[in-house]
Amino acid sequence: MTISVYVPAALSLLLAAISRIVVARTAPTRAAAFVVAAMLCAAAATWGLVLLSATLLGCTSLVADEALERGVQLQDPVPKLIGVTAVILLIFGAVRVARVLRARRATTRELRAVCRSCGTGELAVVALDAPHAFAVPGRPGRILVTRGLLSVLDGDERRVVLAHERAHLRSRHHWLRAATEVCAAVNPVLIPVREAVAFLVERSADEHAAAVTGSRELVARALTKAALASGAAGRVHVWPAALPFAGCGVSARVAALRSEPPRPEPLVPSSVLALGVATAIAAVQATTAFYQLIYWLWPT
Amino acid sequence: MVERVTRRHRARGEEARGEEAQPSRMPSRRAAGELEAEVLAALWAAAGPLTAAHVRQAVGGGLAYNTVQTILVRLYEKGLIGRVADGRRHEYFPVKGAEELAAEQMQALLSRGRDRQAVLQRFATSLSVEDARLLRAMLRRRP
Repeated sequence: MTISVYVPAALSLLLAAISRIVVARTAPTRAAAFVVAAMLCAAAATWGLVLLSATLLGCTSLVADEALERGVQLQDPVPKLIGVTAVILLIFGAVRVARVLRARRATTRELRAVCRSCGTGELAVVALDAPHAFAVPGRPGRILVTRGLLSVLDGDERRVVLAHERAHLRSRHHWLRAATEVCAAVNPVLIPVREAVAFLVERSADEHAAAVTGSRELVARALTKAALASGAAGRVHVWPAALPFAGCGVSARVAALRSEPPRPEPLVPSSVLALGVATAIAAVQATTAFYQLIYWLWPT
Repeated sequence: MVERVTRRHRARGEEARGEEAQPSRMPSRRAAGELEAEVLAALWAAAGPLTAAHVRQAVGGGLAYNTVQTILVRLYEKGLIGRVADGRRHEYFPVKGAEELAAEQMQALLSRGRDRQAVLQRFATSLSVEDARLLRAMLRRRP
């Protein structure tokens, strides 16, 4: 088996390292580049594991008998230990994906139930003092906030929260996050990419809110107040299905809002994408190599 | 103050005019639905029922009084807010729906069991002491 089967894993590490470094310099609207790269990496790495697992079939009597019958010299492309490890990793990945999906589904379902209990309309308010705001995807999407959050903000700051959550709903950020969560579940090496995307969609919604309200300073202030109120109310949970208003890296977001508006750097998203494409090419190469091992199984 | 009997008709009239007038006044155009959410949020944030004038103040952003009236009437017709007569004026308050149930559901959601937490834990961000200090300083630095 060629080295290409291991390349996606190596490139995943590289993508994760790059995500950490460049996330601060990426235009918030370019989160999709990271998502696509993560999906390609996760898919290629999974396919690599499938191929490595499949080499174990060479040990089964079925393939061995067939080879003997046809007079084919069976190769042992990878050590059996690697094949077994690949199987274990695949199983773990499947379990993690199932758990992520189940948690997301359950959380979305519960958020929708809370919204329904709050009545109709775009805005659903829960009479709780803990400050929270969620964008609840659906048809139509709704904004769920607690009274606690509304009461610590003034009118302009409340408009920021609404604009921020609307941006999440309108841009369907929950899909971007869901995709990277699944990728990170399949391939835990990609966890930093998931975090990068989570941060970028928040930044994107912040910038949208700033455009709507006409003031980045105002958004920074609303964010700060919400975060401090959350801190006072105890630990803040960030939910996978909902996009909390004050969640990922609040300090970094506030700092970004207080500095110059982001300038798009086309090189960053394209290099991230190139990395994803490279893993896909490696996966294709690995597949070809694997085919070389087994082509004799097909009747000529 | 507008006479109560004619308010609804006036409000309807304002609706059309109000929406035309909006783009020039606001940094970006606020659709009627967005204004409804803002007014509703202001009513929820308030400690007690508010008059239209107070709602206008609480919402901010230089809304016209008549626009606020229109939105209030619309929210009232949708059954999202209630009102009590206070002399010649109305005071508005949010209709709380299944308040207890919603609060309970939300509480449950925010304190899910171990399995859900395990999946969620990774995403958890709590405000570190350092972050809180930084943010407080930022808030104070503001003129």
